Amino acid sequence: MASCIYFCDNKGKTILSRRYRDDIPTSAIEKFPSLLLEAEHESSVVPPCLTHNGVQYMFIQHNDVYVLTMSRSLSINVAEVFSFLYKLVDVLAEYVKTVEEESIRDNFVIIYELLDEMLDYGIPQITETKMLKQYITQKSFKLIKSVKKSKNVVRPPSQLTQSVSWRPEGIVYKKNEAFLDVVESINMLISANGQVLRSEILGKVKVKSHLSGMPDLKLGLNDKGIFTSDDSSNKSDRSTGKNSNIELEDLKFHQCVRLSKFENEKIITFIPPDGDFELMNYRLSTPIKPLIWCDAKIQVHSQSRIEIHCRAKAQIKKKSSANNVEILIPVPEDADSPKFRYSHGSLKYVPEKSAILWKIKTFNGGKEYSFAAHLGLPSMTDVEVPKAKRPIQVKFQIPYFTTSGIQVRYLKVQEPKLQYQSYPWVRYITESGDDYTIRTA
Amino acid sequence: MEKKLKKFLQNATRVAPKISKKGELFELRNGLVSQYPQTRKDAIKKTIQQMTLGKDVSSLFPDILKNIAASDVEQKKLVYLYVMNYAETHPELCILAVNTFVSDAQDSNPLIRCMAIRTMSMIRVDKILEYVEIPLRKTLQDDNPYVRKTAVICVAKLFALNKELCQELGVLEDLVFALEDSNPMVVANAIAALSDIYSADSSVVPLPKLIQQHVSQFLLALNECTEWARIIILGALAEYTAKDSIEAGEIIDRVTPHLQHANAAVVLASIKVVIKNIPKIQTNVDSPIFSKISSGLVSLMSTPPEMQYVALRNIRIILEKYPQLLSRELRIFYVKFNDPLYVKLEKIDTLVRLVDPSNLKQCTLLLAELKEYALEFEPEFVSRAILALSQLGVKYSDVKFIRKVLDIIVELCNTRDSFQDDCLISMCNLLRHAGHEEDEMITQVCSLAQVWSSVESLLQTDYAKCNYVWLLGQFPAKFSNIEQKLQVFIDSFTQEESLTQMSLLITVVRLHASLSGSVLQNLLNLATTGTDEVDVRDMAIMYWRCLSLEDSNDDLINELCNSSLPEVATTLDTFSPELLETLLAELSLLSSIYYRPVATMTKFNMGSNNGLKNKQLDELQFLARDEILKNMNEDNLLDFDDDSNSATNTAVTNSSVLGDLNDLFDFTPVQPQPVEDSMQNLSLKPKTESSTTKSSNTKDLLDLF
Repeated sequence: MASCIYFCDNKGKTILSRRYRDDIPTSAIEKFPSLLLEAEHESSVVPPCLTHNGVQYMFIQHNDVYVLTMSRSLSINVAEVFSFLYKLVDVLAEYVKTVEEESIRDNFVIIYELLDEMLDYGIPQITETKMLKQYITQKSFKLIKSVKKSKNVVRPPSQLTQSVSWRPEGIVYKKNEAFLDVVESINMLISANGQVLRSEILGKVKVKSHLSGMPDLKLGLNDKGIFTSDDSSNKSDRSTGKNSNIELEDLKFHQCVRLSKFENEKIITFIPPDGDFELMNYRLSTPIKPLIWCDAKIQVHSQSRIEIHCRAKAQIKKKSSANNVEILIPVPEDADSPKFRYSHGSLKYVPEKSAILWKIKTFNGGKEYSFAAHLGLPSMTDVEVPKAKRPIQVKFQIPYFTTSGIQVRYLKVQEPKLQYQSYPWVRYITESGDDYTIRTA
Repeated sequence: MEKKLKKFLQNATRVAPKISKKGELFELRNGLVSQYPQTRKDAIKKTIQQMTLGKDVSSLFPDILKNIAASDVEQKKLVYLYVMNYAETHPELCILAVNTFVSDAQDSNPLIRCMAIRTMSMIRVDKILEYVEIPLRKTLQDDNPYVRKTAVICVAKLFALNKELCQELGVLEDLVFALEDSNPMVVANAIAALSDIYSADSSVVPLPKLIQQHVSQFLLALNECTEWARIIILGALAEYTAKDSIEAGEIIDRVTPHLQHANAAVVLASIKVVIKNIPKIQTNVDSPIFSKISSGLVSLMSTPPEMQYVALRNIRIILEKYPQLLSRELRIFYVKFNDPLYVKLEKIDTLVRLVDPSNLKQCTLLLAELKEYALEFEPEFVSRAILALSQLGVKYSDVKFIRKVLDIIVELCNTRDSFQDDCLISMCNLLRHAGHEEDEMITQVCSLAQVWSSVESLLQTDYAKCNYVWLLGQFPAKFSNIEQKLQVFIDSFTQEESLTQMSLLITVVRLHASLSGSVLQNLLNLATTGTDEVDVRDMAIMYWRCLSLEDSNDDLINELCNSSLPEVATTLDTFSPELLETLLAELSLLSSIYYRPVATMTKFNMGSNNGLKNKQLDELQFLARDEILKNMNEDNLLDFDDDSNSATNTAVTNSSVLGDLNDLFDFTPVQPQPVEDSMQNLSLKPKTESSTTKSSNTKDLLDLF
């Protein structure tokens, strides 16, 4: 169990702390900055757990703060610790928007209060923001108005400890709506000669629920593994003769989904928390071809100049288009005086990243654009600098399109008491993941 | 009416004096006793702010306390916050508040009941603890589960503060009873509290028995509770050993749905339970349960880096038990450009471990990938990649493939500066595996090393130098000016570390016939007088004695010089079976990250260096025992009989502590590999073995001489 939680600045100095057990001397936290320094000094490998004097330090970094927890025991569940620390940051972000040094200092009271609710004696308790907001009394700075203070005194909502611990009763909306966002991030690694070395689709289904009462939702997808009880849709499929069912891997569900029901009957049913949440995520490792294909010929004439010829193509349907495409092409650190020739988008030399950034606002399907760049290299170099091989990085968004072909067949909303009409909305988007890279030769 | 009210409020706030931001003590004190509630509340907040900044505001305690009786929950919370903070450092002040605590513990608002009991059970004063009994008992039986879940944890707090009192009050029985609670969160917190108490003193609560009695309740509660409660319950289930295959099967069935939970810690906790129960049920490799575990593990690779790190370290353990588990998921573990370095290094390790050595296509794929890694720029990453190349070569174990690996490494060695150390070590490892008959490879490596000038500064690490010297000794025909090359190291002998020193000894003895006579004499002199390394000295003494035996028969000298090496089977380190089982039982715990079971905690000290050496000796003794038993007849060498017996004994006893040593050794999370190899390297030299045997039995030796 965690003995304490510390928020530290980027040097490791304490901003705010909450101690749950007194088995760790206060000197332990004073040691943290120097421990970090030491670890960085020794090698550039700084793992997220450190040991000193029998005290275990486990920490994550978020913006400019370290969130740190300590323990005396090796039998602490470290997976739980990291999972919790990330959750803690998430929850705080819902109260103070960005979790950073300043916002922590500004909102210390509410953070104390949250820390007391979320951990008791170092044991994680309640982390569901929707519920916490019901009985956390302090107002935070960023939130203009926190939950309307009711006339009755604040009490812990009774659902807190029941099986539906994430949704309070008595929610009312005039218009009952549920918004589904299917977001797919593509991670891809392409070799210098255009071969796809690795590709994966990380998908998630985000829900924004504006539904009254205690609605029970049932989600139908075109996944092979997921049973579609809706016969009509199956029939229509058969009648059109197309089998568009896909197979999702590694489905992960929000805790509101009845997992055993899914395991046994392959039906996704749940009572949603109010507001935004991530219902499920999945992964697909089926090979896919690059959506934004990019080929850069980089010729380095050492000690004089570097020439880059780059072509990019949107390998998507003619009708759709990729938005906010950004292609980042690395160049040597000492390059200068860039000259560009290009037809589309905007091209910029970014010296602090030692790269050329090519931005294309809308990239229509099937189109191919190119540019040529010419940069000077200093004629004098000291010792041969070790060549840093950095890949080309690509970013993009493609609306109304999922790479996997996942489709929401239906979203049924049933509220046993209120029996209202509800409107589900679905949006699809495909975007680059955090690792869409093309290796340079 | 409303307007009037608003106006009144406005006036009230206007009149109520504001507290300035300076937070001077006197100002705060005045504020705390102000007649305006708004000012008082503001003052409390400011006080807490000062407290957060680290100022000592404990002198305001009495004034703050006056505000605790407020009906305003928000204000009450603030006061409690303050009190809790000083509960630890100024417990004597808290006595002042005891009456409020007791009455608050009976408040109609469950939030306040909780705050009171939570705070009370944290204050380290016996006087207060005396008052705890009644409120604690009451809250343990409270109607509200929110209060009960807080109260059960208070029992653990109380136990930590005052064990005797806690037992006297008999709240432990209440705690055990809470396991039957209808509310899953109360159950989970009760488990957490009990295991906390159990780990402090295993005699007061029979935790394993309690878990056994409640398994079915736990399984039921699993579906009903928060993610954190699930982790606790799964943790308890992992402690339980199923009676038979039916029960184990049932547990697995109930737990597997949770492999799809969004919380990575729940997934890992579920995997732990499943793995615990797998041996009980009849399974073959194709069982769907393995693919479920595999997909659970794979999904952990899309979590934040810290979590990936935990997962990768755990995967390392699981793979050793089930090597086939992830062999289809190679690509998932490819290094991403943005991964932090500590994740990258673990991924390389995992890649080499999970690759299927019977699958050429996969191995070739990985080879190409590792080659890319070796062209990156982070030095740690590159050296790890180079090492991985050789590990892969040894793992696939096919001459053609190894030749390919060797080509890559030679190329790397030529094109990249400052990685000679790693390249050389890798090449030597490859030669040790397959190089006996492969003259082409030997020539390739040796001609590369032949042209190096000023090797002593080119190679940085002890281990690389040791390998270089070994190479000289192994294939003298491939080098020119051997004597000169060795002389460089002999000149700096006293500055070298022990591996190089030993390697030098072996090589010079091996080649003594072709070197000028003074070299050997000189080195033996240096090694016996110029070093503090006991092992090196003993080894030198042994050699000296052997060589100077009157009737030195040529057999012995031949044996010393020409024995050939056993082949390296693998360059991947492994756990001992006992350690592996312990680690599997401790998956997802911090100990599993360090590969160091919780039980060794007490023996642990930071002297991991010491541990290294022990491990080496230990491993060597194993090999030495066999060696000695084989060479038993060579009594003329020394009176080996006594010696070998004692060596055998030590080896046997040491085998039981091997696990512990293993941990000590493996504790350094950063790159344990080279050292591991160094051990293997050493263990491959039969002569080192026999000599080290003696060094470990230094006492016997001294007696003899």
